[in-house]
Amino acid sequence: MTAANLALRRQNKAKRLQKVGRLARGKFVSPDNVPQVLKRIIEPGDILCLEGDNQKQADFLASQLASLERKDLRDIHLVMSCITLPAHIQLFKKGMIRQVDFCYAGPQGTAVADLVKAKKFPVGAIHTYNELYARYYIDLTPRVALIAAAQADRKGNLFLAANTEETPAIVEPTAFSDGIVFAQVNEIVDTLPRIDIPADQVDLVVQAPYPMHLQALFTRDPAAITDVQVLMAMVALRGIYEKYGVQSLNHGVGFNTAAIELLLPTYGERLGLKGKICKYWMVNPLPTMIPAIESGWVESVFAVGGEVGMERYTAAHSDVFFTGRDGSFHSNRAMGQLAGHYGIDMFIGASLQVDINGNSSTVSKNRITGFGGAPNMGCQPAGRRHPTEAWLKVGAEANPGPGSPPGRKLVVQMVETFQAGRVPTFVEELDAQDPSIRKALHGVTPVMIYGDDVTHIVTEEGIANLAACRSIAERQAAIRSVAGYTPVGLKRRKRDTEELRRRGIVQFPEDVGVSPREASRSLLAAQDIKGLVRWSNGLYDPPPQFVDW
Amino acid sequence: MTRGPLFHEQTARQRIAALVDPGSFDELLPPPERITSPYLAQLGIPVSFDDGVVIGHAKIGGRKVYLAAQVGQFVGGAVGEIHGAKLTGLFKAAARDRTPCIVIVESGGVRLHEGSAGEIAIAETMRAIFECRAKKVPTIAVICSDIGAYGGMGILSTCCDFRVMTEHGRLGISGPIVIEKWMGKKAYDSSNRALVWKTSGGKTKYLLGDADSLVLDDAGAIREAISKLLGKSSAVSLKAVKARQAELAKRLKRFGQTEDADAVWKGMGVRDIEAASLASGPEFAAMAKREK
Amino acid sequence: MEKFTKAFPSKPLKARTAKPWALAGVVGSGNLEVLLERAGASGTMECHVETSIPGYKSSWLAALADFATHYPAGGTKVTIHDQGAPPVLVNLRLRQAYDHLTGGDK
Repeated sequence: MTAANLALRRQNKAKRLQKVGRLARGKFVSPDNVPQVLKRIIEPGDILCLEGDNQKQADFLASQLASLERKDLRDIHLVMSCITLPAHIQLFKKGMIRQVDFCYAGPQGTAVADLVKAKKFPVGAIHTYNELYARYYIDLTPRVALIAAAQADRKGNLFLAANTEETPAIVEPTAFSDGIVFAQVNEIVDTLPRIDIPADQVDLVVQAPYPMHLQALFTRDPAAITDVQVLMAMVALRGIYEKYGVQSLNHGVGFNTAAIELLLPTYGERLGLKGKICKYWMVNPLPTMIPAIESGWVESVFAVGGEVGMERYTAAHSDVFFTGRDGSFHSNRAMGQLAGHYGIDMFIGASLQVDINGNSSTVSKNRITGFGGAPNMGCQPAGRRHPTEAWLKVGAEANPGPGSPPGRKLVVQMVETFQAGRVPTFVEELDAQDPSIRKALHGVTPVMIYGDDVTHIVTEEGIANLAACRSIAERQAAIRSVAGYTPVGLKRRKRDTEELRRRGIVQFPEDVGVSPREASRSLLAAQDIKGLVRWSNGLYDPPPQFVDW
Repeated sequence: MTRGPLFHEQTARQRIAALVDPGSFDELLPPPERITSPYLAQLGIPVSFDDGVVIGHAKIGGRKVYLAAQVGQFVGGAVGEIHGAKLTGLFKAAARDRTPCIVIVESGGVRLHEGSAGEIAIAETMRAIFECRAKKVPTIAVICSDIGAYGGMGILSTCCDFRVMTEHGRLGISGPIVIEKWMGKKAYDSSNRALVWKTSGGKTKYLLGDADSLVLDDAGAIREAISKLLGKSSAVSLKAVKARQAELAKRLKRFGQTEDADAVWKGMGVRDIEAASLASGPEFAAMAKREK
Repeated sequence: MEKFTKAFPSKPLKARTAKPWALAGVVGSGNLEVLLERAGASGTMECHVETSIPGYKSSWLAALADFATHYPAGGTKVTIHDQGAPPVLVNLRLRQAYDHLTGGDK
């Protein structure tokens, strides 16, 4: 064997870049040449990574890719976090994709379900973010990665601005395995504010004709929070945050947790909880956190991504948010997910469906969404070794056996018993268990968070402490007890509920010192987006669809 | 920075309770009388005990007033036959008893399901309002929610002596969606909330003189504004009407061609548009005055 | 529209209440109004429901029965106009009306 045979990938990469030839000037490609360049750098059989998560999208490169035909591009193994753009769906419709491995398909969930039905969606697996990033280093290493950045300098160094997100997690495995990294940028400048990706790891750059798409994903208008959500937030604050002394946490993106954030400076302050709970956050810069930050509740916030409109606010609050030397906000999806997995006392989020065993899912027969990051945070990290007050306290309730860790992470599902349109949240069996979905996923039911990992379920009826249940039957009875007037709830036996309540496993609002008649929107620190802007002293710039002044 | 309930978020009954002297409200045709819309029932639409308007008399600062509060959540606060008859009767009673009458408006206008009856009721109510004004009995419209006062209720509001508004309130005749439908999205994009409020919101209406006071979104502030107006009336005279018409002609000439919503604010002396946008009602009123 | 009437056994309401009737809530999308009046036999809570969303009678009856069990509401008449409120609001409005009836308006 000769030495040359030991670096075949490197030789192959050089050959592909050579074929690009004059279509690029150095690393720089003009937008018109992008389809031609893509044809020359991607080969049949490649693992191709297209950057795009639930916020940031390499949308120009995606659209250029989708403009090609099957004769130009076929037999592709697509790996990407989120299938969110119509262009992504085109790749499947044109038959270019041999296999896809992904995390989430939010806005295209219906289109994905249709492709599955038409057998045009050859899925390997649906992952969590970190799970997919992990596989980029194992068996799904990209041959070519199409990524997005805010700015490039003349050497090809990249600045990622507030939305670093998953770019490093894609670039590193690609660049260090002789793959090709092709970046679309909003602009090319002489000097970058800071270097997030060194030019050394970037092969090609195009200045896109329009700025990359950024979704305002975490903006929740306080005006849409209901009295019922305020009630649930009060119950959660007293029955969980206060009880366990939750110091570090992650919040989902729903209105339930937005209500909690907005209650901290009012109801939380009244309970004397400031400085005792909610100090360290792994969460995106949520506008609804502004009042709590301004009131001095929050020590630090690390984020997986940015949020449109929060740039000036986060830059001005570098004591709370992670910022670069240039002073602007920094995020990192892989590291944020890692922090949310190992470093926090509590994950609290919502779901569309919860079954009687506490399994939850957002998948239905007509809408396949996937996971994103919630399962990484909403699980018991088996590798955790460091104790915290909350971790030990839940652990003690769970009565661990001789072969299990002494503590548990709080994994809380906070749901109203009914979704909009009187659709029950609680079901005997998840829609995700549909045979056609399971078949497409090689026998796996797409469960967002497993019942075994969930420690508490909060509804408007009260709290079910699943960690403290001693049997499957007991867990089911606890879930029925807080499932209200859904068919699942109506099957509860009064005697079971009373016994569980006596043991503190089921708690109603009055059991944790909350009077439902107190639950009112007037408790929220801000009742609308304008209120948030006022709290921010004018530093928050909400997206136009939220502005009515 | 915690505060009491926001007025625009309260229900009609809560608003009345928050505005009047404690325990002084006496409801006319209260819910147990069950005077509900026969038309809605026939159409299979849920009815409401008060048909979308709560009426009665009460005291504000010891002074007797007649009072109506529309329920915006119930078919958009729209005026049907019973709803309209309650308003008409209330203003007639106000004229008869020479007692000030306040209407807290939250309505898109006539209820389409009972069109003619609603139209007639609004016309009759306007007549009763002018009867009050002829007798110098103060009439006040309070417009404080984003449903606002539109259609017939927009006209009715401007028939009253005075209008108290908050930054949340909106006042107009055709609603934003109707304007967009007839003039096109290019001329008026009803989904552009900033544009809608810049053209029909409380701040703009105050600048143009259509609102007499611009107050905080709070029952105490609204009560104070009402109290100040209760002793006054603005007579309807040929001179006053002509003066108002001249003002309107001037406004049309000045702003009729502009496509920039900010131009009206600038033209009326507001310099720092961004600061004025974020300012509360009274802060805005102070800025407008100072910078004039 | 679906209409139904049912009386539930309940412990008698206290002899003196602040008002003869109380109203809570409004008729609007996802909301309802509850009128609670002193009326009828002292051992029952008589309920009249009109709802725009048919097909949920069993959960209505369960919610009303729970209320009649938890609160002494015998000798009252409950009339509900509903426009698709979730059961939790039914419960909340009943409690609010009950508080107003027994304790007066806040």
